[in-house]
Amino acid sequence: MAFKEKGVAFKGDGIIIFQDVSQAIQVEKVIKGAGYEVKLIAPPPELRMGCDLALEINLVESTGIERLMKEKDAACVGIFPLMKGTAELCEIVKITDYGQWTMVKAGNMKIAFDKGSGMIVNISGGGCPDIPYLHAEMVDKKLTEAPRPKDLGYTLCAVMLDLALEECLNLWNEGNN
Amino acid sequence: MMLIAGTIPNKDIPLTLGQVKLEEGFLVADGQCFSRIQGTGAMINAALATINHLKLEPPQVLVVGDIGDGKGSRELYSYLIDNIDELSPDVFVMHYCLPIMALMKQLCKAIENSKKRPFMIADAGAMYAAKGAGLASEFDIMTPDPSEIAFLADPKATHPAYIAEHLFKCDSSKIPEQIAAAFENGSAAKLLLVKGKTDYIASDGSILKTVKEPDVSTLEAIGGTGDTITGLVSAFVYAGLKPQEAAIVAAKTNRMAGKFAQPTPATKVGQIIDQFPAVFEKYLCEWSEVCYK
Repeated sequence: MAFKEKGVAFKGDGIIIFQDVSQAIQVEKVIKGAGYEVKLIAPPPELRMGCDLALEINLVESTGIERLMKEKDAACVGIFPLMKGTAELCEIVKITDYGQWTMVKAGNMKIAFDKGSGMIVNISGGGCPDIPYLHAEMVDKKLTEAPRPKDLGYTLCAVMLDLALEECLNLWNEGNN
Repeated sequence: MMLIAGTIPNKDIPLTLGQVKLEEGFLVADGQCFSRIQGTGAMINAALATINHLKLEPPQVLVVGDIGDGKGSRELYSYLIDNIDELSPDVFVMHYCLPIMALMKQLCKAIENSKKRPFMIADAGAMYAAKGAGLASEFDIMTPDPSEIAFLADPKATHPAYIAEHLFKCDSSKIPEQIAAAFENGSAAKLLLVKGKTDYIASDGSILKTVKEPDVSTLEAIGGTGDTITGLVSAFVYAGLKPQEAAIVAAKTNRMAGKFAQPTPATKVGQIIDQFPAVFEKYLCEWSEVCYK
């Protein structure tokens, strides 16, 4: 069973799973009202949680959608990739030592910071439109004072950048304790 | 005509189409002024510096403000879908934007139905959208970095954040395998320029050439140094170089500009682009058939 508008074939690659049908309907209105593409669908069998109503979204927009739901006090079970067999969010980080600087890489995103001052000196990688914006907002700020990508960004690139920042903060705190 | 399309991290910039120029350190098109050092701006800056050196007609740019919510990206796709036939570019480059697969499908369809098919280059969000939509092979050149070639190699991933862990963990020695997998999956453009410690130029699953020198390892940490490669290869294709040669010269130029700049991880990409004229003066005649002194 799928709740689809006839003739509309939105093909997002992400799915939001809810505990109950009314939540899904309510959140669909909120997300649509904010200008995101969204569609009520039946979740695939492997993602069913006992309720057969979910929302199809563009996965790359999950950060902005999650924040919007939080602002509206709308709960969900989780957001998942829709394609069967898709890997989970890649949460491994790689660290490169450049002497005075450290670079942390998470997925497709990298942050370089000065070991002495804790200043973010560069952000590289990514392809979503919030990354150049986050670059402008974060570079030349201290790790501890920079805005969190999860708070300002909207996309999966921002999620990866936040993961990199988290690791930078861990390294910074370890080095100063 | 060369057309570069992409988003700018300033939500106040409306959809803007015009010939681009550099004025007092900023890019300007149709009266709109934007930064040359991030994302699409860095790519345009690199392309413009190259095109100016080659004394060609500056590119037309289609830019729009988008800080990630996708509103500007949707306007950009929509305008291109409706107008790509009339715009009729010889070289079409698409860069930062929200990767919206359904809109990329519509755009590729519109290009297919156009009177003239442009030479198509994608990087950043446009590359993600094309791969996710199963349309990567519609493009002539893509310029992934090592994490993005892992994404192209992963048949299930629709964004680099979801690449399988075993692909992310791979060291750079596995890049040739990932290139082969990307072509096998139909997730590669006709030619790939994989930028990294070693730059790989590959077509039809085979590596045609590698560029390793000069080795300037700090470039990886500098935001925008991948965007500059995309701008360079686009400009050299526009100048008439064959795609493979354009990719080789682009890779060499970026590395040499890095060497000239003597960068640290704190260097900004504008300082690298500012070295392009000196690199062209010294090496372009030696490296290619496009030679203007």
